Amino acid sequence: MRIGKLIRLARGNLVRELGALAVSAGGVALGTGCLVFFLALGAGLQRVVNDVFPVSTREVEVVVPQLAFGSLLGEQKLDDAAVAKLRAIRGVAAAYPKMQLRIPAVTRYNGLFFGKEIRMGLEVVATGLMPELVGQDARMPFGDRGEGQPIPVVVNRRLLELYNKVFAPQRGLPPLVESNLVGFQIPVELGRSFVTSRTLPDPQETSMVVVGFSDRATLAGVSMPLAAIQRINRRFGADATGYSSVLVRAQSADDVSELAAAVKRLGLEIDDSERRSAVQIGAAVELVTLALSLLAALITGLAAVNTMQAFYASVRERTREIGVLRAVGATRGDVAAVVLAEAAATGLAGGVVGVLIARGAAALLDRLARKGLPDFPFKPDTFFRFHAGHVAVGIGVALLAALLGAFLPARAAARLDPAKALTES
Amino acid sequence: MSAIELRAIRKRYPPREPGLPPQELLQGVDLTVRRGEFVAVEGQSGSGKSTLLHLLGGLDRDFDGEARVLGCDLRAVKDAELAALRHTQIGFVFQSFNLLPALTALENVLLPDFFGAGVPDAERRAREALQRVGLADKAGSRPAALSGGERQRVAIARALLARPPLLLADEPTGNLDAKTGEGVIDLFRQLHREGMTLLIVTHEARVSHAASRVLVLREGVLHADGAEAVETE
Repeated sequence: MRIGKLIRLARGNLVRELGALAVSAGGVALGTGCLVFFLALGAGLQRVVNDVFPVSTREVEVVVPQLAFGSLLGEQKLDDAAVAKLRAIRGVAAAYPKMQLRIPAVTRYNGLFFGKEIRMGLEVVATGLMPELVGQDARMPFGDRGEGQPIPVVVNRRLLELYNKVFAPQRGLPPLVESNLVGFQIPVELGRSFVTSRTLPDPQETSMVVVGFSDRATLAGVSMPLAAIQRINRRFGADATGYSSVLVRAQSADDVSELAAAVKRLGLEIDDSERRSAVQIGAAVELVTLALSLLAALITGLAAVNTMQAFYASVRERTREIGVLRAVGATRGDVAAVVLAEAAATGLAGGVVGVLIARGAAALLDRLARKGLPDFPFKPDTFFRFHAGHVAVGIGVALLAALLGAFLPARAAARLDPAKALTES
Repeated sequence: MSAIELRAIRKRYPPREPGLPPQELLQGVDLTVRRGEFVAVEGQSGSGKSTLLHLLGGLDRDFDGEARVLGCDLRAVKDAELAALRHTQIGFVFQSFNLLPALTALENVLLPDFFGAGVPDAERRAREALQRVGLADKAGSRPAALSGGERQRVAIARALLARPPLLLADEPTGNLDAKTGEGVIDLFRQLHREGMTLLIVTHEARVSHAASRVLVLREGVLHADGAEAVETE
């Protein structure tokens, strides 16, 4: 039986039984809609997690083990020699050492801050980064300008988000965008601490200038050029050769496991606390998505049962017609194909409507969230992420549910005794 | 060459109630119908006429005996081969028309074209068949909009679409008034003159009068009209 003729024959029956089949299609649409909705919600939340915890699959942060025998003996150190060894590991594309500011520093700001008078004092926590790591994120030169010159700093974008969503509303400060702050100077006093009330000999007053925003910058404080940190640490007699950590970039994600093993062989460790957080939250999101998707699958399963009942009723009603089809030359397979074609059309319609329901519900929820939820940090514009795969899964599941539901009725129709069917009243 | 050959056909149905004997509707039917013959089978209601017709059309294969229709051994062939036989070699006309309500008259006539390898030049043939039964102007009408006579003529047009050599009809005038029934009988006469083999099950004398041979199904056995003879050849 040719597909075009099959469709023509099925279409007539579909039109006639529109009411009953619309109920079946509605059930399929509900299940499919829930499935697509939850899948898109899961994908959307995963994107939020990725935004908050940007994790590269090619990079690892190498640190000195906190309880290593070597470090107890004072031997284990992340110095230039260790960095050279890391760079020599097979599969390593680059290694970027980082160094903490190892002396206390404070900032005091009294004056106008974007139109608002403020008085502020903060401990400065800083990490030194190689300019290559910051790259294009720095809008102004990110290099050590020497003693007495403003120290360029880059700030993590997530800190700006926290400022805008939490700090600024609480203090009545204006919200800021990156371009507002690039070039902004903040005074800093090196060698002094508010917390310990300690001042190192010969403290130095200078300033920091914001040169850009980067996901590479530390979340705890600001990031300065590595050379500047080394210079300051050296000036105050702190360790200026041992790095706090080294960011190692593999040539490909496939090399990372081998790289991790080589790092361990060097007596070093990989700090994957942020990655673990991202993975744990991501796993929680996936788990919830899976649970909700299973619920949607259950609804779709019930829709399949409903479809089965509808098609059993339809086959019973059309017993005589099925006898006629057999009388004019239809095989058992032809009869089954007609019923399954009707089911496929029902499933397809249910799937398309389900996807539209999911899109509509998501848009509605996003709108409610925009209006009803407070503006918290990292609040996304949308909690959903729809892509072609979701549409394909939704329509595919709807089609499958309808076909599975109609399978037994189609078999029953095919097995009808044509002679008995023709005498059915 | 025979169009139909039946030998010692027996057909039993399960007992209606436990403890009763099985019903034996056909009790050794022998029948030979030559190609081009017009045979009417009469019998009272419940005598097994429709059962005989379904059996001849390969719609019911659960019987004892030997049955050959257009050279095809009905008990030996596979289901798909029987479907092909019904598709191209046998036309069916039923008392209650059996049109598909969702399809137009033209689509109902085209129904055999939906199956198997289809029917060559089906649409043209369908329109010709409708013209022949006088319903060219009703091609787009659905069965609900047609009278009983018109529905039966659409059913006949459907049976003629594949130009089968054998037409089996079950009480084709049973639901029609006298005038409309006459028109249908005239159509059967015409088909007979064109060489088609017709076997019509009926209890109406006017149909039997049109046939070249009349048989009576009584107590499960076929008799020649007005005789007790079993041999019908």
